[in-house]
Amino acid sequence: MPKRRQPSDSSRRNFLKGAGLVGAAAAVTTPVVANAVPAASPQRMKAALPGPQQIAAETLAPSKDPVNQTSSGGDYMTDVINSLGIDYMAINCASSYRGLHEAVINHANNKPEIITCVHEDIAVHMAQGYAKIEGKPMAMACHGVVGLQHATMAMYNAWCDRVPVLVFGGNIMEADKRAPGAEWLHAGVDIGQIVREFTKWDDQPASLTHFGESTVRAYKIATTPPMGPVFIALDAELQENPIPDPEGLRIPKYAPVVPPQGDSGAIAEAAKMLVEAQNPIIICDRVARTPAGMANLVALAEALQCGVIDNAGRMNFPSRHPLNQSFRRVLIGQADVILAIEMNDLWGTLTHFSDRIVRRSRPGTKPGAKLITLGVRDLYLKSNYQDFGRWQDIDLDIAGDGEASLPALTEAVRRLTDDGKKSAFDARGKKFAAAHLAMIEQSKTDATIGWDASPITTARMCAEVYAQIKDEDWSVVGTTIRLSWPHRLWDFKKPYQWNGVSGGAGIGYNLPASLGAALANKKHGRFTVAFGGDGDFMFNPGALWTAAHHKIPILYIVQNNRAYHQEYMYLVAMAARHGRGVDKMDIGTTLKDPNIDYATVARGMGAYGEGPITDPKDLGPALTRAIAAVKAGQPAVVDVVTDPR
Amino acid sequence: MNKVKSIARIVLAAAVFGVSGSAVVMAQDAPAGDAANGKRIYLADGCFTCHGRSGQGGAYNGPAPILAHTALPFDGFAGQVRNPVNDMPAFSDAVLSDKDVADIYAFVESLPGPRSAKDIPILNNN
Repeated sequence: MPKRRQPSDSSRRNFLKGAGLVGAAAAVTTPVVANAVPAASPQRMKAALPGPQQIAAETLAPSKDPVNQTSSGGDYMTDVINSLGIDYMAINCASSYRGLHEAVINHANNKPEIITCVHEDIAVHMAQGYAKIEGKPMAMACHGVVGLQHATMAMYNAWCDRVPVLVFGGNIMEADKRAPGAEWLHAGVDIGQIVREFTKWDDQPASLTHFGESTVRAYKIATTPPMGPVFIALDAELQENPIPDPEGLRIPKYAPVVPPQGDSGAIAEAAKMLVEAQNPIIICDRVARTPAGMANLVALAEALQCGVIDNAGRMNFPSRHPLNQSFRRVLIGQADVILAIEMNDLWGTLTHFSDRIVRRSRPGTKPGAKLITLGVRDLYLKSNYQDFGRWQDIDLDIAGDGEASLPALTEAVRRLTDDGKKSAFDARGKKFAAAHLAMIEQSKTDATIGWDASPITTARMCAEVYAQIKDEDWSVVGTTIRLSWPHRLWDFKKPYQWNGVSGGAGIGYNLPASLGAALANKKHGRFTVAFGGDGDFMFNPGALWTAAHHKIPILYIVQNNRAYHQEYMYLVAMAARHGRGVDKMDIGTTLKDPNIDYATVARGMGAYGEGPITDPKDLGPALTRAIAAVKAGQPAVVDVVTDPR
Repeated sequence: MNKVKSIARIVLAAAVFGVSGSAVVMAQDAPAGDAANGKRIYLADGCFTCHGRSGQGGAYNGPAPILAHTALPFDGFAGQVRNPVNDMPAFSDAVLSDKDVADIYAFVESLPGPRSAKDIPILNNN
C-alpha cells in the first residue's frame, strides 16, 4: 500500500509542517502615512518633485506580493529522493534547481550529502564509478540545459556501461515565469531530448505528485537490469513555491524489481549442451552486479571445469582462479560450445577483424561451434548510437539476468554430470590449471623486460604499486586503455577489487569515476587505487579538488606517456598506409612541450602530489609517501612517466 | 637487402609475432645494421608506440609482440614490416628503407631480453 502522510512522522513530513505565504503586508505594522517624510521647503529642495507612481507607492497600501513561505516543493522532492536511500547527490550548482538545492541543505540537513563538483561531466562520472562499487545509484543535479549539455558525455558512458545514475536538471516550464536573460537561455520545451537516446527513461513532472511518482519510477527503471541512467526535469516553480496541497501528497512506495531468471526449459537445454560439449568455454563481460555474482560464476565454471574468458566489465571472476583463461583467447577458436553471459561486444569477441584498407572479418569460432547467450543487455536497445554492436548468430538465446540465472544453470549442470563426466571434467580442469600457471609465469618473465628503463615500463609501475598495497584491503577502480598488467600480475579475488571501465570509451571517465568509487569504498575502509592516463586526467583535473574538499582518499597513478597514445598509434598507421611522414605523427597527439606536471596540478587542487617520477628506483619511495597521505585521508596523485603501454 | 615476399616467411613471422618474444627460431644471417641509428628510427617513426621503448611489447588493436632481443630471423622480421599480418601497419620503402629496417632489427636484437623473474622480489608477491 502507498504510504499516506502521518502527521506525527516529522522526519518524513517536514515539508508539510507549514504551507502558505506570508505577505509583505503582514510585516508592515506602521501606517505608511505616519512614515511620510515632511515636505521640504521649496528653497531647500534639491530633488525633483515625485511623480504619480512614487506618490502612489508612498501613499497607497502595499500590494499582496508574498515574500516568505514556510514550505516548498523542494522539501517534498528531497523527501522523495531520501525515501530511495540515496546517500549522495553530485552537483554543479545552478539556479534552475536552487529550490531543490536549498531544500536538501536546510530541510533535510544536507541529505543526500551534496558532493560539490566543478563540472557536470565529473558529477555524472563520479556517480557511475560509485554505483559500480556500492551497488546503488547516486543522484546528480545540474542546469537542465547548459549543465545537461556538459553532462552528456558521462551519461553516454553510463548508458554504454549499463550503470544506473539518477540525473536531475532544472528548467522553467512556464514562459511567463522566466526572468529576462539567462533563464530563457537555460530553459527548454523538452530538455530531456538531448539525452533521450542514451537514457532508459526521462520525464518532466508538472506537479509534485507527478514528481514523486516519476522519480520513484525513474529509480526503479534505472536499477532494473539492464540498468542505465535516467533523467528527471525539475520545474523551478515546483521546486521553489509553496506546496499547494500538502495533505494530498504522499511518498510513492518503491519495491525493487526482482531480476528475471532465464526460462527453466532453456536453462535445462543450455546445461545439456554444456555438459555434452568436449571443449566448452564461458565468455563474460558484465555478469556480477552484486557480491554474489562472482561466486555464482565460479560455481558454474567449477561444475563444468571449463575455462572462463573474462572481458572484465565487472569483477566477474578471480584473476588467479585456475580456470581463468582470459589471456588465452585462442580457446575461443577451439570451443565447441560457447556460453556468453552478459556480453557487451559479442560479435567483436568472437570475430577476427582487420583494420586495413579493405576492412574484412572472419569468425574466430570453430565451424559448427554452438553459441548460447544468457543476459538482459539486448532487452533494452535504442537505435541511434550503435553500442549494440554487429549482429551475431546465436543457437540458444536466453533472456534472463546472468547473475540471477547462474544458480539454476549450475544446478542443472550438476544434475547432468555423472561420474564419467565428472572424471573427464576434472581432467579438463587440470589442463586449464596448468595453462593458467604457465600464463602467470610468462607474465612475470615478460614483466622483467626493460625493468630498469626510463621512462618506466607499465609492468614495473604496476608491480611497484602492488608490492605496496597487496596487504591492504585494496580496490582497483580505474585503469588506462589496455593496461593489462594488474590482471596478469595481481590477485583479484574480492567482489569490490575491480569495477570495469568507462563503457562508452569516452575520455574523461577515469579520474572522476575513480573518485566516485573511492567515495563508496571510503565508508568500508578500503584502500582505493586507480591508474589513469595523462590524456584522461586533463579532461577533468578539477575532480581532484572535489576529492580534496570531500576528503576522499585514493591513490591515483597517472600513467604519463605524454600522449593520447591510442590515437598516436592510429596516426602512425595512417601515415604508413599512405607511405609518408611517419615521423611527424606526434603532431596533435602528444602532450609535451611543455610537459605537464601532474603532481603540481594535484597540489594546486589541494591533493597530495608526487612526481614526475622518471627513474624506476624513485617510484617505490614515492609510492610509500603517497600511500601514507592516502591513509591520512587525502587523495594522492603519483605522476609516473611511463613507456606507452 | 632484398624485399621479402616469401609467404612461408611471412607465416613464420606471424607465428612468432603472435607469441612471446622469447620464442626460439633458428638464427639466420642478417645484414649488418647500425643499432644506434635503428634506435633513432624506432623512436622517431613510431615503432615504440606499439612495441615499447624497451621492446617489451604492448597493444595496438590487439597485443603487440615483444621485440626485445628478438629471436626472429631477419627475413621474418623484415617480412612483417613490409607485409604484416594482423593490424600492424605496413611500412613500405617509401617510409623505411631497407637499411632502416636492418638498423631497426639490429637495435631490437640488441635490447636486453627477459631475465629471471625470480631475481626480482616484487614479482613474486603471491
